[in-house]
Amino acid sequence: MSAEAPVSRPRVLVVDDEAPLRELITVTLGEAFECDEAADGETALGLITRDPPDLVFLDVMLPGLSGIDVLRKLRADPALHDVAVVVVSAWQGPEDIAVALESGADGFLEKPFRVDELASVARGLVGRRR
Amino acid sequence: MRSISLVRRVALLAAGIATLVGVAFAAALVAILALRQADARESRSKDVTAATLRVRAVAADLDSALNGYALTGDRRFLTLFRTSRLRTPRETARLQRLVHDDIPQSRRSLLVRRELDDYLTDYAQNVINIASISRAAVRGPAAGAEDKRRTDEIKSTLRRLLVAENSRARKASLHARAVTKVAIAVGIVSLTVSTALILLFGWWVARGVARPVRRLAGAAADVAGGDLSLRLEEGGAGEVGALVSAFNSMTRSLALARRELQTQNEQLREGERHKRDLISMVSHELRTPLASVLGFTSLLLQRDFPPDEQRRYLEIVDAQARRLATLAGDFLDVQLLDGGALMLVRMPFDLAELVREQVQLFFLQLTTHRLVVDLPDLPLVIDGDRDRMSQVVGNLLSNAIKYSPEGGEVQVAARRSGSQALVTVSDEGVGIGPEDAERIFEKFFRSAEATKTVGGTGLGLAVAREIVSSHGGTLEVDSTRGQGSTFAVTMPLQAAPVVAAMAPAPPQVDRPVDESLHETVQKSR
Repeated sequence: MSAEAPVSRPRVLVVDDEAPLRELITVTLGEAFECDEAADGETALGLITRDPPDLVFLDVMLPGLSGIDVLRKLRADPALHDVAVVVVSAWQGPEDIAVALESGADGFLEKPFRVDELASVARGLVGRRR
Repeated sequence: MRSISLVRRVALLAAGIATLVGVAFAAALVAILALRQADARESRSKDVTAATLRVRAVAADLDSALNGYALTGDRRFLTLFRTSRLRTPRETARLQRLVHDDIPQSRRSLLVRRELDDYLTDYAQNVINIASISRAAVRGPAAGAEDKRRTDEIKSTLRRLLVAENSRARKASLHARAVTKVAIAVGIVSLTVSTALILLFGWWVARGVARPVRRLAGAAADVAGGDLSLRLEEGGAGEVGALVSAFNSMTRSLALARRELQTQNEQLREGERHKRDLISMVSHELRTPLASVLGFTSLLLQRDFPPDEQRRYLEIVDAQARRLATLAGDFLDVQLLDGGALMLVRMPFDLAELVREQVQLFFLQLTTHRLVVDLPDLPLVIDGDRDRMSQVVGNLLSNAIKYSPEGGEVQVAARRSGSQALVTVSDEGVGIGPEDAERIFEKFFRSAEATKTVGGTGLGLAVAREIVSSHGGTLEVDSTRGQGSTFAVTMPLQAAPVVAAMAPAPPQVDRPVDESLHETVQKSR
């Protein structure tokens, strides 16, 4: 597995203003994914536009642009329309999930999430795309 | 006039009208009585005249009979004389009765009676007596003259009586007519005035009562419709004026009550919203560190990591668990603040030393911000709760990091300022607008900038200020939005002798802290 990793590893962008959480997601996804990180919405949007990843884990509460703002911008851009996005939020309640899904999220994870659930969501979305 | 009550006014007016109507009736009564009296007077005059005429007839009969007897000696005349003589007292008595209340007439009737009596007793009886002896003796010129004198006397008295009675009747009639005239005039005037008064009363009731009442009814309908700002012009007579004032004060208190209710309602709604936000916020603040703790624990349990990675993840778990503990502590503190039960465990300690420790704690592993520290060589000894003051300084440091961008500079300084110790923490972060400068010290308040930037409970500064002021110190902020903030803590310094006593204690702790701090500053540059 490590032999073919450099060639076809799916690329993931982790967007969260909390460094420990970014690290948690990156470590959870492990060697199978090539992870990049962004601490705010603007940076994330820049990275995605420059080189669209296969999957984005997107926190909602970010300094500046919120995760939902970033998601809407992605969905409005034809070039980035297909990037898979999983919204990760600490806000509970059905309306938050509804807003995320209506804005075009492919998945929703509520903090605190289970690490194996995160991994399987990532694998499922990336596998489907390939 | 304005202040006289309505009841009194109505009563006064009604009394006035009643009096006037009474006067009118009295006048009519007077006129009727005067007319009746005149009528009675006239009929009495007629009676008196008739009685007088009858006396005159009797006198004439007596004279004729006497003269007839004297001339002829016929006894029939004597009989006639005697009959007439019998009638005389009756007629004179009747006349006297009729005029008994009229002194001059009464006197005249008495005179007539005496003259007649004289005529009968002194003269007629003598004539009859003489004539029965010698008729010639009573037929002489002397006898004729005597007879004429006596009868003329009676006639003249009777004429005077008649004339007087006539004049009396005429006078009474004239008087009655005059009285009637005046009475009618008085009646007409009183009726006219009372009619005018009644009309005036009606107009006044309409104007003074009906119109204000109608206005009031309209206003009451408006108030019922919800317009509580309505006020009527005050004034109006007695009860009506009182009614208007009462109405106004009623609407005023209604409006007041409604405003109060609205405010209370607004406060309740605000409280409800606040509570919802608070629950969301607490949930968010708990879930974020919890995600790291649970996530890394799961990973450590499921996978094998190299020892250095294990250690790193455990450190993260530790830090995040501490964060949770701090949150729990903050909520507890708020509980204490609300209950006013913040207990301080006071002991003299070096504030500069405390700042040094906190800086070390926060910046040891932090590479994202540049740090500039300026601490004094001499200790800043204050008498206070060291743990609580650590909490304050830690809160200011964590805020400086939290609300400023990566690469931003954080300046921490402590120095003596007169009898005070001054600690300042400055950042180049989001800053605070002037409208929020004081509100950030309210519990649960979070500025719009803060909410957008990072999560937080809005409790840290509220708790910090409470702790500082419980020590008799101050916590202030100086900030420009978008350019950063400076938080300044002043605390009263402990008196000098205690500083000397304290001095030997800290050196053991002092050195390693200094070294690590030096390291931190190096690292962040």
